[in-house]
Amino acid sequence: MHFELALKLLWRDWRAGELTLLLASLVIAVGTVTTITLFVDRLQHALLNESATFLAADRVISASDPIDPAWLEKADQLGLVRSETLSFLSMVFSEDRAQFTSVKAVDDHYPLRGQLIVSESPFVGGRPIDRGPAAGEVWMESRLFPSLGVAPGDVLDIGVASFPASSVLLKEPDRGGGFSNAGPRVMMHLGDVPATEVVRPGSRLTYRYLFAGAEPALEEFEQWVRPRLGQNERWLGVREGAESIGNALDRAERFLLLGGLLGVVLAGVAIALAAQRYALRHYDHVAILKTIGATPNGIDSIFVIILVVLGLMATLLGSAIGYGTQLGIVSILDPYIPIELPAPGFRGIWLGLVTGFICLLSFALPPLLKLRATDPVRVIRRDLASASVSDRMTYSFALAGTIGLMWWYSADLFLTLLIFSGAVVVVAVLSVVAWLMLRSGRVLGMQAGSAWRLALAGMQRRGGENTLQILVFGLAIMLLLILYLVRTALIAEWQATIPVDAPNHFAINIAPEDVAPIRELFETRGVRAQPLYPMIRGRISEVNGESARERDRRRWRSGERDGDGGPGASSDRNLTFAVDLPDDNKVVSGTWWPNSYDGPAQVSIERSMADSAGLTVGDQLVFSIQGREFPAEVTSIRAVAWDNMQPNFYIIFSPGALDDFPSTYMTSFYLEKDQKLFLNTLLGQHPTMTVIEIDAVIEQIQTIISQVTLAIELVLVLILISGALVLLASIQASMDERFRQHAIIRTLGAGQRLVLGSLAIEFCVLGCFAGLLATLGAEITVFALETRIFELDYEMNPELWLIGPLTGTVLIGVVGIAATLKVVKTPPSTVLRQLA
Amino acid sequence: MKGINLEIKASETVAIVGASGSGKTTLLSLLAGLDTPTRGQVFLGPYELTAMDEEQRARVRAEMVGFVFQTFQLLGSLTALENVMLPAELKGERSAADSARELLSRVGLGHRLNHYPNQLSGGEQQRVAIARAFASSARILFADEPTGNLDTTTGLHVIDLIFDLNSEFGTTLVLVTHDHRLAERCMSSVQIASGELVTDVSSAL
Repeated sequence: MHFELALKLLWRDWRAGELTLLLASLVIAVGTVTTITLFVDRLQHALLNESATFLAADRVISASDPIDPAWLEKADQLGLVRSETLSFLSMVFSEDRAQFTSVKAVDDHYPLRGQLIVSESPFVGGRPIDRGPAAGEVWMESRLFPSLGVAPGDVLDIGVASFPASSVLLKEPDRGGGFSNAGPRVMMHLGDVPATEVVRPGSRLTYRYLFAGAEPALEEFEQWVRPRLGQNERWLGVREGAESIGNALDRAERFLLLGGLLGVVLAGVAIALAAQRYALRHYDHVAILKTIGATPNGIDSIFVIILVVLGLMATLLGSAIGYGTQLGIVSILDPYIPIELPAPGFRGIWLGLVTGFICLLSFALPPLLKLRATDPVRVIRRDLASASVSDRMTYSFALAGTIGLMWWYSADLFLTLLIFSGAVVVVAVLSVVAWLMLRSGRVLGMQAGSAWRLALAGMQRRGGENTLQILVFGLAIMLLLILYLVRTALIAEWQATIPVDAPNHFAINIAPEDVAPIRELFETRGVRAQPLYPMIRGRISEVNGESARERDRRRWRSGERDGDGGPGASSDRNLTFAVDLPDDNKVVSGTWWPNSYDGPAQVSIERSMADSAGLTVGDQLVFSIQGREFPAEVTSIRAVAWDNMQPNFYIIFSPGALDDFPSTYMTSFYLEKDQKLFLNTLLGQHPTMTVIEIDAVIEQIQTIISQVTLAIELVLVLILISGALVLLASIQASMDERFRQHAIIRTLGAGQRLVLGSLAIEFCVLGCFAGLLATLGAEITVFALETRIFELDYEMNPELWLIGPLTGTVLIGVVGIAATLKVVKTPPSTVLRQLA
Repeated sequence: MKGINLEIKASETVAIVGASGSGKTTLLSLLAGLDTPTRGQVFLGPYELTAMDEEQRARVRAEMVGFVFQTFQLLGSLTALENVMLPAELKGERSAADSARELLSRVGLGHRLNHYPNQLSGGEQQRVAIARAFASSARILFADEPTGNLDTTTGLHVIDLIFDLNSEFGTTLVLVTHDHRLAERCMSSVQIASGELVTDVSSAL
């Protein structure tokens, strides 16, 4: 074997600077992947943990009856930590007042994730705490203190038992915004519930079983439990727990994934270019080695050894750098990320190492393997074209490597093939366009001054290489533009989901006579509020002549309805009526009634309910409200933006249909943090109404979104670095040819200014073309990505057509001139001698 | 190349002469196994080069062939000493350094062992190439216009060196040149024109 010889050549090449770019590309590839993977991994865990606090657990089973104890045993066997809570509605009495409340009884382990925030006085202050109230005391939400006329420490009665209200509960992690918890919160210890005697057969109870632990155990438990879930049991994961955060997380993950993929591809291109150049510069070496007796197999083994040693160095160095960068990023971000990042896993490092070697094999090995076929006669006849085994081999290696890596990262063959075939089409189209552009450049150049002519003639003479170079530049810029555009669209979309001034309080149970005074109070205090909607409790009792309960049961048994959810037809609902279609609602089937409609009752059903309950336009329903029944026809199905923080309804009646029933009203409104004491006034004047505070939830969502946004920006920066490296590699690859050409021109008497001018023009024109192509490619790809993968609404980006070419021109102009300044500075004789 | 029938005996020195483009370099490539003819046979020692693949021909070169080129063809990334050590290293010999050092002193470069090719003059580079050619204990040396890139004085010095070492090692020498004075120093010379053998003038010696 030629181990020593290979090492010697490697060492000499390294000292001569031949390997710098190849090694740098490899190190950056590995470093980028390691950094992104480690960071994303940690961030994902952190975000999941953070989202888990919305559940106060990693997973939850919610049930209306106690679940089978065997399930809990299974959880214990799997090593999961668990906790139980029980929620029910109950009256709470102070000395002289009573209030309907939503009681939540918790055990000693609650909460498993997240923290409670308690305070000594209503509405203000607050400190985090890791457990619920101790046995024998209760905690109450701020607004209960004014409405019951008590102060912290006073004694209250729940059922037949008495408890001191020892602390004010400001925030509980899994409060959510649902109306099942409509009443103000009282939190007590689970062990105290029997003493109150309020829980009786027939009480409406919600049992929640909280689980936390290692992800594999949780998944095993989920697989075990899911098939066993009954009609009244629901399984909740992090995503089900917080719909809007689930979506944001999904998209962020996809974006980061995409970013990682593009980063690898960019680095791969840089590696391929650097390896190509390395190989080109070694054809002569190999020819000499061959004349003195090196066999083709010997050549292979020499360069494979070089590559393996290089790969080892690069992957180790890259992983170390990636690890360090990631630590650096985390420490920089530390003050801005209020969540704790878990320690980095080995997956990132492993991924980086494997990526390094796959990149090396698929991008760097093929050009080097071509060296074996170098014709030794080359030693005598330098003009002999470099032997090429087959470019097909090079490309198929690179393609296979890219697809393999993409697939491995995304674990999604469809996404991989989609992006990949898209890229192939774009590359094909772009190469044709690039070639045409070069041709037209020549025609234009004929009339121009001499630096222009020199530049454009040079560009066209090396037409093939320049087409490739424009393509590489264009691809790099395109990938950056794509990431930038998708990022911008994502962030805009998230910010639009929850605007800064989104309503953060709901008010329900408003008596009809309070509607006018409350509206007036909002106005005088400058509180932004939504319209007041009437709200009547009721349910569907018949669907097309069949009992709704029977129908639900039948559908559930036959599997038409999911075991774990989706609203059924027969559950109790909040009903409302409206003249106009509410904001953020969209009719997807049927028609909304006209403004002046005054006929028989019509209803509009929300889409997810219509789907899971199997209702369609034209169905004849019978409603049961306050003991009376009346018919109505389904005339439309609506899509509702549930996460818009406004009053939303599953069922809306046509005007007039509910006139015979006494109703309460609801609305939502926005309060600044320092306006919170307004609640005291509001509840003091209207003690019968209920206010639900969701400002804490919104704040949490916004925190998560800003964290994800930050993560995305960071990934973008990393990819930018890869992109710049590709540009550098690509320019380096064309350096020898440029050196030679300009040395000759200078010996012929061209001044430095002319050479520099022609170089500048050449790079700027290349950059401009590349930028144009990049813009075209980016628009097409972003359209596909946003509509197919990210489910966003696509909009043209006219400013891109300016930004793209401009970025290309400036970026490539500057980088190119900086990289080739040496051409001008080096005396031509030196250049010619070195190239001889 | 056509109709070439040529035999060179061991320890002979043969010059291949001809005008530019006459095909003398091609003939050299064929004889040395750097290239293969479309038809015909080439034998080198006990081996039929034309029946071998590139891998086998490379082994033959490693075993018995040395080269000196017009453009020196040293590996720029290796020192003079390392360049001379290369052939032995490719054969897997261990004590390559000692004999390489010896050869370099023999060509008068004992003091420039660790210089890189670009730190050496053209004559010095060619002397390193000559040392390298003899380092593989070659039985036949092919030289392609060895003085073509050198001035007259240096060229003469290099030629002396080649012939001295050649007789010292008892090597067969095949020399491509258009320099008649150089050709005259060989035992015989072969003239090529348009790819054909014009004369096979055996030396009177």
